[in-house]
Amino acid sequence: MKFHTVIIGGGLAGLVSGISLQKAGKSTAIISNGQNALHFFSGSFETLEEVPQRMVDLLEEAGIRTHYQPGVRLMPLGTFRPAALSLEDISLFPTPRFGKKVLIVTFRGYHDFFSSFLAEGLEKQGMTCRIHPLDLPQLEWLEQSPSEMRSVQIARTMDRIWEVVVQEVRILLKDEDTVVLPQVFGLQDTSVPGRIRQGIPAQVVFAGTLPPSVPGIRTQMLLKRRYELLGGTYLMGDEATTAHVHDGVVHSIVTKNLDSHFLEADHFILASGGFFSKGLKSNPFRIHEPVFGLDVEQAPDRNDWYHPEFMSDQPYLSYGVKTDAGLHPLQAGAPMKNLYAVGSILGGTRPEMGSAAGLAIRSALTAVDQILNQPNA
Amino acid sequence: MNHNEFDVIIIGGGITGAGTQRDCAMRGLRTLLIERSDIATGATGRNHGLLHSGARYAVNDPESAEECIKENMILRRIASHCVEETDGLFITLPEDDLGYQQTFVEACRKAGIRAEIIDPDLARRLEPSVNPDLIGAVRVPDGSVDPFRLCAANMLDAKLHGGQVRLHTEVTGFIREGDTIRGVHTRNRTTGEEADYYAPVTVNACGIWGQHIAELAGVRIGMYPAKGALLVFAHRVNNRVINRCRKPSNADILVPGDTVCIIGTTSTRIPFEECDHVAVTPDEVTLLITEGAKMAPALSSTRILRAYAGVRPLVSADNDPTGRNISRGIVCLDHEIRDGLKGFVTITGGKLMTYRLMAEIATDTVCRKLQVNKTCQTADTPLPGSEERSYEAVAQKIWETPSMAQKAAAARLGTRASSIQTHDRLDEALICECEEVSVGEVNAAIERLDASTLTDLRRRTRIGMGTCQGEFCACRAAGLLAKAHGCVEKERDDLANFLQERWKGNFPIGWGDTLREAEYTQWVYKHVLGL
Repeated sequence: MKFHTVIIGGGLAGLVSGISLQKAGKSTAIISNGQNALHFFSGSFETLEEVPQRMVDLLEEAGIRTHYQPGVRLMPLGTFRPAALSLEDISLFPTPRFGKKVLIVTFRGYHDFFSSFLAEGLEKQGMTCRIHPLDLPQLEWLEQSPSEMRSVQIARTMDRIWEVVVQEVRILLKDEDTVVLPQVFGLQDTSVPGRIRQGIPAQVVFAGTLPPSVPGIRTQMLLKRRYELLGGTYLMGDEATTAHVHDGVVHSIVTKNLDSHFLEADHFILASGGFFSKGLKSNPFRIHEPVFGLDVEQAPDRNDWYHPEFMSDQPYLSYGVKTDAGLHPLQAGAPMKNLYAVGSILGGTRPEMGSAAGLAIRSALTAVDQILNQPNA
Repeated sequence: MNHNEFDVIIIGGGITGAGTQRDCAMRGLRTLLIERSDIATGATGRNHGLLHSGARYAVNDPESAEECIKENMILRRIASHCVEETDGLFITLPEDDLGYQQTFVEACRKAGIRAEIIDPDLARRLEPSVNPDLIGAVRVPDGSVDPFRLCAANMLDAKLHGGQVRLHTEVTGFIREGDTIRGVHTRNRTTGEEADYYAPVTVNACGIWGQHIAELAGVRIGMYPAKGALLVFAHRVNNRVINRCRKPSNADILVPGDTVCIIGTTSTRIPFEECDHVAVTPDEVTLLITEGAKMAPALSSTRILRAYAGVRPLVSADNDPTGRNISRGIVCLDHEIRDGLKGFVTITGGKLMTYRLMAEIATDTVCRKLQVNKTCQTADTPLPGSEERSYEAVAQKIWETPSMAQKAAAARLGTRASSIQTHDRLDEALICECEEVSVGEVNAAIERLDASTLTDLRRRTRIGMGTCQGEFCACRAAGLLAKAHGCVEKERDDLANFLQERWKGNFPIGWGDTLREAEYTQWVYKHVLGL
């Protein structure tokens, strides 16, 4: 099977690369081994001040509407972080005091939404809060099994019964000016968060839950749909194992499922993620990149990989594959000519790239530009 | 009677203190237990959780071996919900001397330990994880014991007999009149509140920290801190305890416990100042994996969950300043006889296995001093939860057709499982999916077992001890704690402390899936949840 470009990794970086190349009329394939970082996405893409318009447009074309205004956003444990380019259902406020009286609505028996943490955080800002757990007969089927009351399962039901929630909230609402709801709306139907906002006569704020992230899964589905509509080949549940490389040029990729049918291409993009996504692997002696055996930045002594304080900047999180200025990864010190590394596999040492999602999109766009600008492209 | 007055004050919330409090309370004494941190935070919770048959000590320390096998049989009766009767093997590998086996078996028999030489082939069938190259095997009545559960059960029974417990409370000094200890000054480490308590006898049951407490009282005990490092594996690789049949050495015991197994240990003398901050070194990790894989080869490819270390309270035989004459045996010091200090008793040395006997000896001393003539009943009276021997029978009695989660709860709590609220099915929702711990069980631990932090909950319910090491259950449980205590601010710090505690056990083994999990956890808590 021969493509113009083969992309390893089906997360944000891989999908942005694939969509951009398909739009330029190039044939691509994405090898995805399943879950990716979008499944625990906060809903905010870019923490840098300057947001490239291309990023916004690309998301918009996939049906992902974003917005940005300076200020803050509310985090699930009741804290605040600086505002960022975010999905439309993530509220951004000029100041942390975004209301006076707040009604926080949750579901009976739901432990993955932190209503009391939120209330405490908002009260610290001078707001008064009332928490109300809704008791919906439509969720009783989830209570039957003790491990089912989780965000995605609730979201599946909410796609059908969100109007019931609107009605219940309207009845509950006394003199509150703001309603906080868990982010369990609009898994399939992207219009739902907006319609809930229209239906409730108060400011509606959606606050995050424990993963999996419903807005994240929705984002992943929309990007994948866009990619496939543009004619891309998304190989779900497959995994790149090795590559055929001669003189620093990649010829084809071997995958678990395709066996002897190698994936050939002129260009290759490595968007296989960090440690969690297995783009980087580690053993007691070293950190390595499993498909190409690329050079990985790291301290030689394992003791130096960690900081004893968990929440500090952990050195290992900054490790990634070494590249030249054109994102060509190095193998034994020499750049691979037709391979580009994008997204989290680059490691976290590039503050100019912004947050993880920002890094994913920016580096993907850079790699695509280089591929398309080549004389023989 | 002043509410600050007791018959006996016990300092130390490890297994020795808890056991002593139970024994004293069962003999009718008004007891108070003071612990500066939480239950089982010292050596009690930092060992293999091995229910020794005594075989390990048979050759070199027959006295300890005899104590072990007697207590082993007692614990099977009185603490059945804390004990798993796994059985154990002492294996000889090609590099070991098979001649030692005979010496070993004879010593076991002399100490009263059933030790049966079996064919290596039978050993391979009984325990498929064992190194197939073994050349000899002996079967002994080893088992495993959950020290947290055992400690909590002893303390609970003391409370049921009128005892009082102050956790997170530190003894800052003694109330002394002439040559007599009358009581203690304390400070609550959470609230800062100070209080004095009075009793005619105070028992020092602080393990390695007993040296410091003795100094506060004005007497000296020579203790020798010996660090032991251990690794927890994410799977229960073996179903029977595996030991090496040779002179006791490093990393030669592999104990299955609940869903995991534990390899250990090492033995390193450390300076006294390090006791509060013991850390596992990379060299110790390497040694434990290499030696462990010799006993069960699967260990070399099994994920490690956590590394931890404890400090053994070794005591020099009395007044031997050189420390040459160190015993692992039980040491009970009546400081009136030893130092002329009245009203003060130290119980130390010994091991998890002999805690009940230590408690009996300490309580006998206390009773003698108080001129109370009551006999010890702890060898015959089951702990709360152990009234029934089979957890399956317990589960069936309570739920008729118990779910997996309910069976897990019955295995953890024994007959006490019936006290978990289950009238509402919301109480059955799972907080921890790895270990199947329900909302009801967490709430019961908060209400009845004095759990005030997430780490406390971990010790009482196994929350966060499973494969994910508390990835999400910590957050869910934090919600329940915040509700119970009505304090969110504190709970956010608690969550951060819990993650820090977890990291302490993780980074010494930070590669492979552990590093993946760590990356994920930091991402989720920092960037998604906003901690």
